[in-house]
Amino acid sequence: MSERLVNEPPAWAAGVCAGLHAAGSRDVVYVPDNPLSHVLGQIAERYRDVRLTLATREEEAFGIAAGLYLGGRRPTVLLQSSGLGNSLNAITSLVLPYQIPMLVVVSMRGDVGEWNAAQVPMGRAVGAILDAIGMPHATVDSPADAEHIVRLTATTAFDTRLAGACLVPRRITTGAAVHRGSAAAS
Amino acid sequence: MNRLEATRIVVHAARDAPIVASLGHPAYDLFAAGDRPQNFYTWGSMGVASSIGLGVALAKPESRVFVVDGDGALLMNLGSLATIGLLQPPNLVVVVMDNGEYATTGGQATPTAHGADLEAAARAMRLDAATARTEADLQALVEAPPPGVGRPSTGRQPLLIVAKVTESRPTAKPPLDCVYIKQRFMAAIGNPEAAAPVVERR
Repeated sequence: MSERLVNEPPAWAAGVCAGLHAAGSRDVVYVPDNPLSHVLGQIAERYRDVRLTLATREEEAFGIAAGLYLGGRRPTVLLQSSGLGNSLNAITSLVLPYQIPMLVVVSMRGDVGEWNAAQVPMGRAVGAILDAIGMPHATVDSPADAEHIVRLTATTAFDTRLAGACLVPRRITTGAAVHRGSAAAS
Repeated sequence: MNRLEATRIVVHAARDAPIVASLGHPAYDLFAAGDRPQNFYTWGSMGVASSIGLGVALAKPESRVFVVDGDGALLMNLGSLATIGLLQPPNLVVVVMDNGEYATTGGQATPTAHGADLEAAARAMRLDAATARTEADLQALVEAPPPGVGRPSTGRQPLLIVAKVTESRPTAKPPLDCVYIKQRFMAAIGNPEAAAPVVERR
């Protein structure tokens, strides 16, 4: 990551960090993707009290986050939308029935601005899947709203014991980069 | 040694420490071997027990944390060993009840029945690891011996024990109420959920 990215994070990424921190989350379990690298860089740089934990696969991240909650922490899971498919068994047979709350921040693929056909079917299905399993979700509509939406999603999750997702669309995470086209924006 | 006997040894060694159990027969035997509030019984999420245990171990570094896993379950989430090896929580002990079969689903053979070696996999991912074939072996491994005694190496690494067990028909099942299991567990490990603070809304 370049110096510039660390020092001048995109507003949406700064908002995600501020929102999860304001909600009391000090544990972030993640499987990286390119837009989320801005969030991870910000956390490492400016939120030293937040512990970052890398998982090898998204389902594992949900298991680790569940254990962190049982142990008294307020976990956040960061993942790309493609990883939601990898996570569904842990979400539906652990996180939801045991009422283990966590903030889930989803970097969207397959929505407006996508260039990779392999990302499209899952990306299109994310909202419907979350509705079908009964996980509330909100969307970051503008970079300026990111902190507010992330914080409210998290506080609602922890207060109601129901994990909640915050979707960050590609039109937000890629900004102008999407117009440069192709793999550069991935 | 059958799985129930092995589970009794783990429960005894754990004293007041939390134990996370994989779904099906491992959880049933944990309940039969010694139901206690510090037991977290999973009813689903096959493969994820070691990840849950890792999360608890990170949140409670002052406590030993045990996982009772199955061979088939761990094989579903081998990446968990890489993560445990990366983070090196010294307080985490994963006991894999290795009977070489998917016993809960009818006894189909797992890869360990044909030579897949979970101890070697754990070592390759930088865990301390050992295989127990007798009750005495297992006892020596789980009873928290001082570093270098009864342990393959330092005692400062996460430990994975492959307990070679025979299948034993479970005799009891834990409570079905997932929220009850969670709340009882959290209260027992010093983290009562009811006392969780409400975050101020701005």
